[in-house]
Amino acid sequence: MKFLNPQLTQTVKRHPSILRLLTVIVILALAWTLRSQAVKMLPIDYDEDDYLRAGQEYAHLIRTSNWSGFLEANYRPEHPPLAKIVIGVSLLSAPEKPLTPDRPTTAEPDRYLPRDLVRPARTTNAVLGWLTVALVGSVNPLAALALATHTFTIKYVSQIMLEALPALTSFIMVLAYLQFKKSRKTGWLIASAVFLGLTAASKYLYCVIGIAILIDWYLNAKDEEQVNLFFRQAAFWGILGVVIFFAMNPYLWADPLTRLRESVFYHAGYSTSAEEVERANFPFWQQFNWLFVSPKIWHRDLFFYAPDMWIAFLAFIGLGRLWKKERVYVLWLAAAMLFLMVWPTKWPQYVLTLTVPLSFAAAEGLSEIWDQIREWWQNRNSNKAIYKKSEVSRATPWLIPGLTAFIILTVFPLIFQIIVSTTDFNAASIRDGFQGGIWRAFWQGITGQIPIIPSEGGNPNEVGFTGLSTYPFIFDAFNTGYGGGFSYLFFNIMWMVLSVVLQVGLGLGIALLLWQKGVKLGKFWQALFILPWAIPEMIGAMMWLNIFLEDWGWLYLAADKFGPGSIFGKFTSALASSPDLWLIIFLLPALWYGFPFMMLASSTGLKMIPREVYDAASMDGANALQTFRFITAPLLLPLLLPAILVRGIFAFNQFYLFQVFFFPNATLSTFSYNTFNPTGWFGGGQFATSAAINIINVLILVVFVYLFNRWSKAGEGVTHA
Amino acid sequence: MRNISPLRQIVTQFLLALTGFFVILPIWGIARLAFDGSLRGRPTEFRLLPKEWSLTAFLNVLDKPYQSVSFEILLRNSLVVSLGAAAIAIILGISLAYAFARFRFPARQGGLFAILLTAFLPPVAFMTPLYILLSMLQIRTTLWALVIVYSAFAMPFCIWNMRAAFQAIPKEVEEAAFLDGAGDLQTFLHITLPLALPTIAISGLIAFLMAYSEFAIGWLFVDKADTVTLAMSIYAIVQTQYQGGAQPWSYLGSLALIMSIPVVVIFLIFQRTLLERMMFGSAE
Repeated sequence: MKFLNPQLTQTVKRHPSILRLLTVIVILALAWTLRSQAVKMLPIDYDEDDYLRAGQEYAHLIRTSNWSGFLEANYRPEHPPLAKIVIGVSLLSAPEKPLTPDRPTTAEPDRYLPRDLVRPARTTNAVLGWLTVALVGSVNPLAALALATHTFTIKYVSQIMLEALPALTSFIMVLAYLQFKKSRKTGWLIASAVFLGLTAASKYLYCVIGIAILIDWYLNAKDEEQVNLFFRQAAFWGILGVVIFFAMNPYLWADPLTRLRESVFYHAGYSTSAEEVERANFPFWQQFNWLFVSPKIWHRDLFFYAPDMWIAFLAFIGLGRLWKKERVYVLWLAAAMLFLMVWPTKWPQYVLTLTVPLSFAAAEGLSEIWDQIREWWQNRNSNKAIYKKSEVSRATPWLIPGLTAFIILTVFPLIFQIIVSTTDFNAASIRDGFQGGIWRAFWQGITGQIPIIPSEGGNPNEVGFTGLSTYPFIFDAFNTGYGGGFSYLFFNIMWMVLSVVLQVGLGLGIALLLWQKGVKLGKFWQALFILPWAIPEMIGAMMWLNIFLEDWGWLYLAADKFGPGSIFGKFTSALASSPDLWLIIFLLPALWYGFPFMMLASSTGLKMIPREVYDAASMDGANALQTFRFITAPLLLPLLLPAILVRGIFAFNQFYLFQVFFFPNATLSTFSYNTFNPTGWFGGGQFATSAAINIINVLILVVFVYLFNRWSKAGEGVTHA
Repeated sequence: MRNISPLRQIVTQFLLALTGFFVILPIWGIARLAFDGSLRGRPTEFRLLPKEWSLTAFLNVLDKPYQSVSFEILLRNSLVVSLGAAAIAIILGISLAYAFARFRFPARQGGLFAILLTAFLPPVAFMTPLYILLSMLQIRTTLWALVIVYSAFAMPFCIWNMRAAFQAIPKEVEEAAFLDGAGDLQTFLHITLPLALPTIAISGLIAFLMAYSEFAIGWLFVDKADTVTLAMSIYAIVQTQYQGGAQPWSYLGSLALIMSIPVVVIFLIFQRTLLERMMFGSAE
């Protein structure tokens, strides 16, 4: 703050709230700039013509004071009218234009919508979106920053969509509920119910947030032993919500039940049969993909930078902290995400149901990282060991030979890899690169003798210097899945979590079965189950390829033999049509290969638990489930954590399984290999790109190894020995 | 704790048998191929058992499994590469492991973290730079290149585990030798090394297996048929299927079995110790 005058600095220091206010103002200015830019620059998208038309109808009714017309007007009746009425109100200032033509939902975006109608409708939505940011800012400025810059949020509140209003009202509903929880004042309860009704009258989907409120509310009531009161209050809240919903929904007044049924059932039909939903064919985890990718790929000129992926990462880190601080936001995230995973329609705008709690979680994640760094910085001197000179000189002769070998074989290649990643070395410049071109380009580049050029510029046969520009390019590719709306990073992490959860589940289950007293054939079963672990991964993968290989695998041959009606035939046809079932042809081999390790690790751990503990438990009359929940699990889990993390890291690095199945875009490892391989699937020979992917991979593993270090006993050796 | 009830015994056995089926299924599938003498290319019909029981695939594979390269050459290459990698990783890493186990010196914690991190890196992370560096040295396509690459993969893991082995030996044992006037090197060679040898051998075994079953990076480096390893030849049989190759899949099956059996035996014998080492010493 040196540039400010001292008096002002003093004032700010004395009143931290001023600083906070200033920060919020800056963030809100940023939020508005980004949204108004989006209003101006975003091209017309799907559905905008529909909602504009709906708005035009309402605007006409208002202009002609035809209030009874509201009873029958609701263009696109699958959505309740409130958000469309708001669009209608925003059009009152604009000149009246002929109705936008009615087109099927499969139609391409209508690029010829009149601009002077689009502008006010979009701006109104953007204002609502901006208000949401402002409200978030009043709770947590950092979260407001996340929401302000989240590109998917910006996009869908700045177009003529129905998201902006329910996103705002649902958040107000939660805020009112939180006030009620704190103060127990009925006024807040009523406010929350009113906004529940408004949310329902804007878009049904956002009502899922009400479920999160109910869960939190119930858990609280259970703690305070006021479950009966909870049921009464919640019923009141729900009924008032329904009343408001009907009051705000004039279209329903004439024939409530039929029209409500039509409107709701439309979605069930749409999600399972609509052509565009089927064509999109998204996997069940698509909404996670939308959180990790960014609409930047569609609107390159509009978004300067897309922090969406980082917000999602930070949110993941901050979940635990947010749970302790305000549970309802985590429940909100979980309820919305679960619903979206189950719900067959997976359009990207649905993520707006959860970007508010996502921003809160991201803010907590950032604070968590900041705290960790601060703690490390403060403690950096306290656990510094004292070295005896004699000991260091005794260590030197041991260190020199080993360290030399370690550096030459392991460290130097990694450093060289960083150097390669700052060049554009590829198959075209291979001759120059092998004859010292990499060193030359790097040296001239960092000494400023040659300029930084993007990877496609310059002489293709000569290695050029790209600086660090390859990294944003790769993150962009990860961000967008090369335009396919598929996040490689998320897939890699999901793969790790799913395969480890399965392996731990089966491994621990088998270990528990074998651990029971008096199980027959125990030794035999254990020896049998070790087999997959002992078979080299690549041969194991080959064995599964022999089952799942399309057309020629065992499974497909069985389907041929027993016909399409048989279980095999049904399975193969499901594999061919489903967007996510293919995952199990990788998960099964991974489970097969990995569970024996977890079984052995669990058995070893179980043997360390003294039997007396269980005798005591059985005397107290604990049943098997209670024994596991209160004795086995808490004693065993700390022993298993390192093993779980080892398996997790191996799963994150999984390569040979995918390589045997010729599946090139799974983990970062397969990705790097096939980018590198001169005869690979992606054209290949992109040596520098492959190097940069590897460096990113190493950086991610630093985090995992840090966790491993903290969780394992071996880690104590690192920090205390 | 009492023995489980008969009903629970039956349920337990049923669940174990179900898992057993899951474990056996793919092995059976490949064994069926291996013993089938009727296969000319890939299998064309669903069978649970071979159509013609025969050992010809095994005999052919033990003669010339891949192109015109004999089994002995493939096995020799595999052994040279795997033993070489394991030996280099152990011999060059051992002094570093001992230094980290016994002495305190500056930057020790950072060094340990670096070793652990590099032990957890995927082999692919070393592939790119080593490919370029060894190409510059013009030895990329030789067996030596593979030895260097595989020892680079295995060394951090071996150092980490050998360090744990040395640390497990009580300092008092060494101090006794010191009092008798032995130097650092003598103490190490006569006292510490023999005691830590079993763990070191297991680390070497894991390094050996890593190199023994590696194929993808091998194929990237090597381009002559006489420098191919066993694992690489198996992968080649699968891959040529996609290019209309004519190797019967019974070759694939028998080669896979021949390659796995010694490893399975080793694992069954050493399972406890192998588990400890693969958990990076965290189970101790």
